[in-house]
Amino acid sequence: MRALLFVLLGLLSVPRVGSGEEVTVFAAASLADALEEIARAYERSSGNRVVLNVGATSDLARQIKAGAGADLFLSADRAQMDGLTEAGLVRDADRIELLSNVLVVVVPSGAPTRIGAPADLARLGRIALADPEAVPAGVYARTYLEAIGLWSSLRDRVVPTLNVRAALAAVESGNVDAGIVYRTDAALSRRVRIAYTVPPESGPKIVYVLAPLASPRKGAALDLARRLAGPEARTIFEKYGFQVLAAR
Amino acid sequence: MLSRDEAGVVLFTLEVAALATVLIFPLALAAALGLARYRGPGKGALETLLSLPLILPPTAVGLLLLEAFSRRSALGGWLAARGLEVVFTWKAVVLATGVMSFPLLVRSARTAFEDVDPRLVGLARTLGCGAVAAFFRVTLPLAWRGVLAGTVLAFARALGEFGATVMVAGNIPGRTRTLALAIFHDSQVGRDDRAVVLAAVTVALAFAALWTTELLSRRLGRRSEE
Amino acid sequence: MIDIRVEVPLAGPDLRVEARLPAAVTAVMGPSGAGKTSLLEAIAGLRRRARGRIVCGDAVFLDTERGVDVAPERRRVGYVPQDAGLFPHLTALGNVRFGARGDGGRVETAIDTLDLRPLLPRHPASLSGGEKQRVALARALATSPRILLLDEPLAALDVELKERVLPYLMRIRDEWKVPILYVTHNVGEALALAGHVLLLRDRRVEAQGPPLDLLSSPGLSVEAEAGIENLLAGRVLAHDAAGGVSRVELQGGIPLSVPLAATRAIGTPVMVAIRAEDVLVSSAPMPGLSARNVYEARVEALEHTGIDVTLRCALPAAPSPWLARVTPAAVQALGLKAGQPVWLAVKSHSVRLL
Repeated sequence: MRALLFVLLGLLSVPRVGSGEEVTVFAAASLADALEEIARAYERSSGNRVVLNVGATSDLARQIKAGAGADLFLSADRAQMDGLTEAGLVRDADRIELLSNVLVVVVPSGAPTRIGAPADLARLGRIALADPEAVPAGVYARTYLEAIGLWSSLRDRVVPTLNVRAALAAVESGNVDAGIVYRTDAALSRRVRIAYTVPPESGPKIVYVLAPLASPRKGAALDLARRLAGPEARTIFEKYGFQVLAAR
Repeated sequence: MLSRDEAGVVLFTLEVAALATVLIFPLALAAALGLARYRGPGKGALETLLSLPLILPPTAVGLLLLEAFSRRSALGGWLAARGLEVVFTWKAVVLATGVMSFPLLVRSARTAFEDVDPRLVGLARTLGCGAVAAFFRVTLPLAWRGVLAGTVLAFARALGEFGATVMVAGNIPGRTRTLALAIFHDSQVGRDDRAVVLAAVTVALAFAALWTTELLSRRLGRRSEE
Repeated sequence: MIDIRVEVPLAGPDLRVEARLPAAVTAVMGPSGAGKTSLLEAIAGLRRRARGRIVCGDAVFLDTERGVDVAPERRRVGYVPQDAGLFPHLTALGNVRFGARGDGGRVETAIDTLDLRPLLPRHPASLSGGEKQRVALARALATSPRILLLDEPLAALDVELKERVLPYLMRIRDEWKVPILYVTHNVGEALALAGHVLLLRDRRVEAQGPPLDLLSSPGLSVEAEAGIENLLAGRVLAHDAAGGVSRVELQGGIPLSVPLAATRAIGTPVMVAIRAEDVLVSSAPMPGLSARNVYEARVEALEHTGIDVTLRCALPAAPSPWLARVTPAAVQALGLKAGQPVWLAVKSHSVRLL
């Protein structure tokens, strides 16, 4: 009986991949698929293990401030990274502005909605946005709508969701008439159709920022950060539709 | 102490919880009565089905409701065609809180009904009461304490409902944001100080609800014993 | 006339009863489990799976062949269970009024018949067993029932209470003209009230007929109960105020002195109750005895009832034997045995007028 117990305990403590370190990455929801691919490739080549926690950037930042054990943070906007920098959890010198994205208006794939100009948005019923008060995707969308003077008329129709993927799901389900998400999200779903692309020139400046946490500052974390900024990762990001900003 | 929006959230939460309780009340009593009396086949399955919202994770219940009432579903589509939107509206809040509170009321009421001597009901029948009259003149008056306790419990549960509500109604400010959802949102956007204030309000409300039951139960109980 | 041909599925054997009940009061008797309560419930309509035919007077309650099964609330049956079954959340008045259909008159009459006026504002929890029974009876009567079904109404009462409630039952029988089905274990009650007896055993009818025939014939097992054992019918003869006694003539011409009851008119029928333990037995005549009532009798049988011995004594001309209870020591001392002539004595104070 005791031998069996020891064997079980032994099995539980064996790491899945080799005997390397473990790196925990907190990243914006829109990066889920691209990061998954990059992380698995990294695991195979480095022998380290990557734990990926994706969600709304604002939610993740809150968790980190509350003491969650993250090694790397990939934020969908500068504001959330600024918050961590101010809290002393990230060193300014470690920040890398990695990616950009484009906002699109999506509608359920079968819907006949036509949006020729932003003003046409006023004809829509319910619009799903990642929470415009804090989640980057929603904040970008709100900033854009404010800039073109449509926010006050549209805000009553907004259905705020937990993160940008939830907004996408809401459109997919048909329970809202439209949603504003990243182009990279829309590309992944067959159940939505892009009705309007926010021109990058008139839209908000979308910047994804990468940084290792000041502590514990593991070797493996810094290693993965370098990889994320490297050429193989760039290929993968571009495959999913992200714009890779000039590396630092 | 509370901003105008926050006060609105409190009022909205009370209204929705009250409406949900009122709507489930007759259904729950009927179910409780049925469970108390029915002795045939399928009773166990029915009991389990009615108790599901108690043991399932609220998010699972919310998901089921979302699937059932989504515009793409048969039911949701039918309602939408008649101009009745449920998902992401206050109606979904009432629906979610009602469904989650339902089994609590059924349980309390059922125990209360089972405690009523069935012979007394039979006697009432011989004295000229139909089945319905016998329920209102004998069973209910004798079971009122349990029914009241169950109702307050259901109301208090409705006040605090979160998981199912957030799934099927969303957290839309001014539309579907209840106290529980507001607490969550405040903490999400870094306003922990307001979240704590709202949490304190929830505690106060729950306390008031339970205290009122105690008072009512004692005062009404005393009068009927004189 | 109550016509019953009914089959009721029960746990264990089904109840099967076929009976025609002619009299105003029918006593339903038999051992526990014989089906007496189930029969009453079937007549009341509380046994929904009963099949057959039940007719009460001109009202058809049940006729399975013709698809008739009247709901209990429409049968107008007055059912009084063994423990009264009062509604605890209502006062006595509330209980009595419960089934009355706007007919205040019947309610008042029922209250008066059962002397309930002082009890009306009280709740059942504060009433004694006898008071509860009276309220339950009034409650049943207030609905102007077609038939009264009483399930051992006196069983839960002690001897004194029994004697107090029994007259009310007789009053109901005499004044309300409602047929009564009366379940009891007690031979005395059956004799006092019933014109017809239905004996049940093992969910079947064992016998039915006039009470004296059924209850005195040997071979029929009926559980008699300690309590009022001598219930005798008679007629008021005269009052002797100076002497403090009234004189009653029992059936068979037997004279009996009872405590003065001047309120009873001469010639009115009465029922008298004498406890078996109040009957003195002597193996020799007893001159100079203060007891006014002394009779010659012959011991028919001795029966051991618990620690004591009950003697069944036949008086000449009396329609039914008298019961006397003595200790085994007395039996030995007097050498009592069947067939022996004895003298019975009863003080007038031991006689209760019903």
